[in-house]
Amino acid sequence: MKEYTYLPEVRRVFRCTVPDENIRQVFLVDGILQEEDNEKDGITLKRGAEEKGLYMRVQGDHFGETIQIISVRSEDLSCPLEFTNEWELEPGAGIQIIVCDHTLNDHLYQTSRFSKITLGENARLDILFMQNEHIHSRYRLDMIANLDKGSQLDCHVLSLYGGIINNKIHAVMNHPGAVCRMDGLYLADGEQHIQYDIAVVHNAPDCFSRQLFKGILDNHSRGSFNGAIKVAPGAQKTEAYQANHNLLLTNEAKVTTKPQLEIYADDVKCSHGASIGRLDEMGLFYLRSRGIPLAQAKMLQQMAFVEDVLAGIRTLAIRERLEKMVESRLRGEFKKCSNCTMHCC
Amino acid sequence: MGKTETVMLSIKDLCVSIGEKEILRGINLEIKPGEIHAIMGPNGSGKSTLASVLAGRETFTVTGGSATFMGKDLFAMTPEERARLGLFLGFQYPVEIPGLTIVNFMKAAINEQRKFNNLPGLSSGEFLKMMREKMAVVEMDPSFVGRGVNVGFSGGEKKRNEIFQMAMLEPTLAILDETDSGLDVDALRVVAHGVNKLKTKDNAFVVITHYQRLLDYIVPDIVHVLYKGQIIKSAGKELALEVETKGYDHLINEK
Repeated sequence: MKEYTYLPEVRRVFRCTVPDENIRQVFLVDGILQEEDNEKDGITLKRGAEEKGLYMRVQGDHFGETIQIISVRSEDLSCPLEFTNEWELEPGAGIQIIVCDHTLNDHLYQTSRFSKITLGENARLDILFMQNEHIHSRYRLDMIANLDKGSQLDCHVLSLYGGIINNKIHAVMNHPGAVCRMDGLYLADGEQHIQYDIAVVHNAPDCFSRQLFKGILDNHSRGSFNGAIKVAPGAQKTEAYQANHNLLLTNEAKVTTKPQLEIYADDVKCSHGASIGRLDEMGLFYLRSRGIPLAQAKMLQQMAFVEDVLAGIRTLAIRERLEKMVESRLRGEFKKCSNCTMHCC
Repeated sequence: MGKTETVMLSIKDLCVSIGEKEILRGINLEIKPGEIHAIMGPNGSGKSTLASVLAGRETFTVTGGSATFMGKDLFAMTPEERARLGLFLGFQYPVEIPGLTIVNFMKAAINEQRKFNNLPGLSSGEFLKMMREKMAVVEMDPSFVGRGVNVGFSGGEKKRNEIFQMAMLEPTLAILDETDSGLDVDALRVVAHGVNKLKTKDNAFVVITHYQRLLDYIVPDIVHVLYKGQIIKSAGKELALEVETKGYDHLINEK
């Protein structure tokens, strides 16, 4: 495992690890890029508009690297913050991006992160958003992706912790042959509030999209999922699927789910499914009858519930790391750390 | 004075209800190490209820009587405590758990059991070796380890999986609830072979079945016939044959 990288500008020791030797780490503190504008190994990295956020362009011959973007809110700036991160992949380029969002203390942070993604022909982007802040933070992600012919976007969003989390995710396919997979997992407890607004737009024929979003809600938390699929006239042979499943652990937790399909083409395969349920009593008894204590049985059932979302993360080392984080999150260990906010991740 | 034989499970006047409905109406049963008991009886007589109540399913209410297992009050224990003390229930309808692999399921169960017995945890290598050995007992394909628990399994595969879990946990008392239902002859033989291989002088089995067929392979010491929540007759293995040829009616009428 790679040694912890410390962020020298931040006084309190801050750790963010990814168990892969070759991951390049890029830091953003309060939206400011912590390195000079540079160009290396086919990747252009520079500050975004008004010196905030980042702009990254990946050359067409570049394929397979992973970059971790560690974006933190520090004690130096407590006012609401807005910035834009932009990724542009040239035709044929491929890259994996992990965006980790953290807060370094429990100030009442409010952060809006716009993400603009442009995929050239046959480009491929795997992007993972790790939302791990604290109970007083307000987090907003506003992502828009444009997919060119034959390109592929795999987007994972993991809402681990945060007071109010708002995710607005939008993907548009204007050219044939594009593939868009979106997976999300939201874990809420206490008084947390998590909202997802998804829109996948099929403007061209022969594109494929799939959405799989799952949530586990405990205590008095609230969740809401609005998922739209739009298939324009002429976007024949579209395949578009959506699923949203929710597990409520208490009688007080609430979730609303609203699938919306707007289809204006007649030769398509589209489906949606939504469910809200609780832990399976018979399953719990089955596990307990093998000597597994109730708390552990509940944990196994929750991990089983989220398994297919995590299975979609292709890099094994990252997937295993996330499984551990999700498990410790579900055990309530993040809550205990809420005064510390480092979350030891 | 002769040595008193140890009783593993002792059930006295057990009465059980679900909601307002009385299902078991005074069951008395004693099981000693090394014994195989068969429980037969028409549909709705309470066989599965008895199995579920002993394992600790909470949908049923014990309204009277008592049960002592390994010297402890069975009904004062949670299902997991009973399991760790050596009680095993082979489910009539094994539960599907998508997303949980058999290997992770068994790892959790074995770790709990070893923790309870003050044994150190098994290494991954030791654990996988144990899995392979026990899968061989029930002729289960090793590729099953990575599959979701009972997900997409045929009826026979589910029952093999139950016997496999039993082989892993090596219970003191195993209650097999209609493990033979839905099995073809080959699967039945495999399951029975598994039971016979695990049988020792120190453990005991309760086999709940509708058919005498299973008892050709697993030979019981005592056969009980359950009817309307009561044991109406207990006898040797010949009772199973009697039921097979004459049905339950004459036993019910005798009563």
